[in-house]
Amino acid sequence: MATAVAVPQDLWEEDMPGIISAWLFEDGDAVRQGDLIAELMVEKTAYELTAPEAGRLKILVQPEVPFQRGDVVAQIE
Amino acid sequence: MNVPLNRTKRNLTIAKAMAEAIAGEMRHDPAVLVLGEDIGKLGGVFGNTRGLYEEFGAARVKDTPISETAFIGAAVGMACVGMKPVVELMFVDFFGVCMDAIYNLAAKNCYFSGGQSPVPMVLMTSVGGGYGDAGQHSQCLYGTFAHLPGLKVVVPSNAYDAKGLMLSAIRDPNPVVYMFHKALQGMGWLGTVKGAINDVPEDEYLVPIGKAAIARAGRDVTLVGLGATVHHALDAAAELAKENVEAEVIDLRSLVPLDRETVLASVRKTGRLVVADDDYQSFGVSGEIIALASEAAFPQLKAAPRRVAFPDIPIPFSPALERPLLPDAAKIAAAARATLGTK
Amino acid sequence: MTPSQEQLRWMYRTMLLSRRFEEAIAAAYFEGKQPAFNMANGPIPGEMHLSNGQEPCAVGVCAHLEAGDFVTATHRPHHIAIAKGVNLKAMAAEIFGKRTGLSGGRGGHMHLFDAQVNFSCAGIIGEGMGPAVGAAAAFRQRGENRVAVSFIGEGAANQGAFHEALNLAAVWQAPVVFVIEDNAWGISVAKRDSTAVADNALRAAAYGMPGHRVTGNDPLRVFAVAGEAIARARAGEGPSLIEIETYRLEGHFMGDAEGYRAEGEVAGLKAKDPIAVLRQQLLESGTVDATADPRIQAEAQSTVDEAIAAARAAPFPAAQEAYEQVYA
Repeated sequence: MATAVAVPQDLWEEDMPGIISAWLFEDGDAVRQGDLIAELMVEKTAYELTAPEAGRLKILVQPEVPFQRGDVVAQIE
Repeated sequence: MNVPLNRTKRNLTIAKAMAEAIAGEMRHDPAVLVLGEDIGKLGGVFGNTRGLYEEFGAARVKDTPISETAFIGAAVGMACVGMKPVVELMFVDFFGVCMDAIYNLAAKNCYFSGGQSPVPMVLMTSVGGGYGDAGQHSQCLYGTFAHLPGLKVVVPSNAYDAKGLMLSAIRDPNPVVYMFHKALQGMGWLGTVKGAINDVPEDEYLVPIGKAAIARAGRDVTLVGLGATVHHALDAAAELAKENVEAEVIDLRSLVPLDRETVLASVRKTGRLVVADDDYQSFGVSGEIIALASEAAFPQLKAAPRRVAFPDIPIPFSPALERPLLPDAAKIAAAARATLGTK
Repeated sequence: MTPSQEQLRWMYRTMLLSRRFEEAIAAAYFEGKQPAFNMANGPIPGEMHLSNGQEPCAVGVCAHLEAGDFVTATHRPHHIAIAKGVNLKAMAAEIFGKRTGLSGGRGGHMHLFDAQVNFSCAGIIGEGMGPAVGAAAAFRQRGENRVAVSFIGEGAANQGAFHEALNLAAVWQAPVVFVIEDNAWGISVAKRDSTAVADNALRAAAYGMPGHRVTGNDPLRVFAVAGEAIARARAGEGPSLIEIETYRLEGHFMGDAEGYRAEGEVAGLKAKDPIAVLRQQLLESGTVDATADPRIQAEAQSTVDEAIAAARAAPFPAAQEAYEQVYA
């Protein structure tokens, strides 16, 4: 049962797109709950994304591809 | 490497690895403190002190005025009376305003005092260009700092080494200049080099100062790099592999002490040497490695050693001028082919 | 000292020109840097330090200067360069890294040099102070009526070069004026957390020269105080220190998230924009005619637009040119 990893709806103010500046794991890597899995950038500011659960990471959005708050960028399987 | 088995991989950026190393040491050693410009509330312009101010407060994480001579000199004094300061020189290019505190004071106190007054401090400083910051914010200056006796100098190329070297540096009783390359930090606004982001164990572990790493084993040509040029050399090696040339890539990790044995063992094995250094070409790291090879591995050399370095000119601003000058995988691969007599 | 009508109009036009320029540069800077803010990308790579809000410092001082007067500035130089009369097209081209730039693309935004008007700037804090002292000393030795002005930020007042330069200027009685643009922030560190005195003008006494603090980010107050200091220098009475309370409306560098600034701080500053304040004063006094103002504003915009367009259209230098001008 895959868990969606969504960018929190309230992570930043205003309706700007963000991008992944770096995935800290490869597609298919094992991650633990709470692991730092990606760094995001919204214009100038850096944010972090952590794994909501343990499992295998499936990356859905590549670095530098814009997304909005609330979008699902990965799954944990 | 003493890492628990069956642990899950955890990748970090160099910035986070540095911050984690410093935090870990600060937790168990009250003598460790951090000082520098914007390293407190901002967490460091390059992200390497994120979270420290929140955890340890202003007494141990001190935002300083723009007074490098004073606060680096102060760090030397702190170190002389039992503290272990980790000081940031925001850009290595700023060394001009404070070099006395580094090379006449920090570097020589132990010697002048006959060992009575060692200086256990870390001077961490950002290096490197390629993103348009021009001649006073883009230099590497590896040769400048490696040249002066009394300092240790380390240059991590990836997050694993960054944490282990920082721990070693903080525990070292000598002044260690810790030079982190801006392109490898993992700050999105400086671009990302994937190879610099790697698995960093949560536990303590040390990467020894004075020991190079073999980033890629090979038999046909030795490529020596440090910091950013390790990644260019690995890319060059991947290209060369398609031509059935197996390059051995050495990541120096430390300039002082220099791991001459690892370099020599590789050169004696392959007989061919290319040094990749994004510092100015002349009178620096590349010349030192080549001198070493010619002094101690001369009979094994099958071709003249080569170097790929930044030319001896101030770093220009315009990308049309700067980009063509930077060492890259293509130039390193071309130099390797030249040592093989191929094109 | 009060400015003449002509000087007032010059200050107003120059502040407008400077602000429109910074806005145009900001827009160009962010091209290629959205949504992924990578500093290396776009037509203007690297760092960018804009002077929006600090225009009063530039015009209040430079209103008293000629082409022959020597000015050094910092990593935040555009408003001062413009007020000093630096060639705007060549300056824009330099910021875009083009061959037609002031240095053919070698210096970029932090290293703008225009020898025709004796202007230079650099990115190392305090670096321009020594040269200003030296140029001033040379003017005095040769019996010339020229002066030097060194612009610095309030953070530089804690740098060694500041103390050495002030002392030396006084010992030599050099005709130099040191101007501190106090915008209260050294990147993320507030002045009150970095500086032992609230008023850097007090430090002047330690170096045997007069010091004045100008509050309110007001170009007319700056004009008055700077005028006196520059007149002193020209009359052979030696150096002075001026600290001007100003503020930057943007971050330290473009891309600065400014998390260190209190909420509402910037909005509060924008509400008292010095250009709007001056406009109001000049309209009320009749120095600027209400019907003439739209034309004045349009001219500033079109001058900037021309310079930016020319910069974009200009060619890049050839790679080989990087090797030229290392030596004379």
